[in-house]
Amino acid sequence: MEKYRCMICGHVYDPAKGEPKQNIPPETDFADIPDDWTCPVCGASRDKFRAVA
Amino acid sequence: MAVRTIAPDIYSVGAVDWELRLFDALIGTPQGTSYNAFLVIGQEKTALIDTVEPRFEEDLLKNLMRIGISSLDYIVINHAEQDHSGTLPLLLEMFPGATAVTNEKCKDLLVHLLQVPEHRIKTVKDGETLDLGGKTLEFMITPWVHWPETMITFEREQGVLFSCDLFGSHLATSELFVRDFTDVIGPAKRYYAEIMMPFAASVRGAMEKIADRDVRVIAPSHGPFYDDPSLIMDAYAEWSSDRVKNLVLLPYVSMHGSTRKMVSVFTDALIEGGVEVRPFDLTSSDLGEIAMTAVDAATIVIAAPTVLFGPHPAAFHAAYVLSALRPKTRYVSIIGSYGWGGKTVQNLTDTLSHIGAELIDPVYIRGYPKSEDLTALRNLADTIVKKHEGVITRP
Repeated sequence: MEKYRCMICGHVYDPAKGEPKQNIPPETDFADIPDDWTCPVCGASRDKFRAVA
Repeated sequence: MAVRTIAPDIYSVGAVDWELRLFDALIGTPQGTSYNAFLVIGQEKTALIDTVEPRFEEDLLKNLMRIGISSLDYIVINHAEQDHSGTLPLLLEMFPGATAVTNEKCKDLLVHLLQVPEHRIKTVKDGETLDLGGKTLEFMITPWVHWPETMITFEREQGVLFSCDLFGSHLATSELFVRDFTDVIGPAKRYYAEIMMPFAASVRGAMEKIADRDVRVIAPSHGPFYDDPSLIMDAYAEWSSDRVKNLVLLPYVSMHGSTRKMVSVFTDALIEGGVEVRPFDLTSSDLGEIAMTAVDAATIVIAAPTVLFGPHPAAFHAAYVLSALRPKTRYVSIIGSYGWGGKTVQNLTDTLSHIGAELIDPVYIRGYPKSEDLTALRNLADTIVKKHEGVITRP
């Protein structure tokens, strides 16, 4: 599972950790996150994230 | 600011702030700024586009009176930041028949930042238009240029683009249109560096959207207007591109002279290697100048001594601001000197990691630089020279 970085604020989504404060459990692939999910730091929408090279 | 005509029945009615020297209590504005607002009078309806910083609300109201406006139908809000939207509550009070027009996201912010009553706001979607009678306003939602709710408004018949903060400059001037771009390109680049650079990808997206329209005038919300839009569009195309210059940005601070000596030797080595270098003493430099240099620099090297357990606060501040501005810089490194210990390199590396650049091995030494330390600095300069050869596009 790849990490994804927010192109707006640089926050990295790490599938191993999930997003504990947003009810996204650990081991959740970025592809499985709901469409209306937003970046926990800046509020950017899901399409602003890119896979970390 | 006096009322000025941009095009038939389209007026500039905002305010000039000749005296501002620090914007957002953070970055210098040595040439002041303006808060631009516009009045568009159609055959049936009248719209105000954007408002002004609340301290200047009297200027805006006087201008509306001078034109003889006794009622407003719409107040278009492109962006919820208070230097543009801050006068909205007063205007809604003074013009009870007026409706604020903005997008859903901006509405949410207006309600929270300014406590604007929801029923006074009409929301529009991307591409939606508002017909004023012979004048059509088209709304383009441009998220993250530079807030999540930002939009721009295009008046179709005269081709006037009310571009909000995009293409703006902090420049107080009595000229309505840019006549000599050499006077404006500095303030415009400074503005890009401070406000738009973190959102370069979104800026490129917005510019693609604009490219389809017949834009004859660009009227941003700060600074003068462009009746030759290619001037600022070409500059933005360059700044927001991935191209970097053969340039090292070198913010430094020195307490007892060790780091200063390192900066001096390192600067000379870079010059000898054919690399342009811009050292900035952080105790006396303007953060805006540093940000402007970061727009182009292929490499940023921060030079700092250790104070107590970490980097000198001035260097930490610069590293933090640069990491937030997220320039397209490809390489970063750190040089400096410590007395007895600390985590300066680790702290600066962590902060700079947000830029997403490759870290070149720092040269961090104990005490005054010895001959092997100076050799290490010259080697660092050589490494940068070689790295730049790979990423610089030569004309």
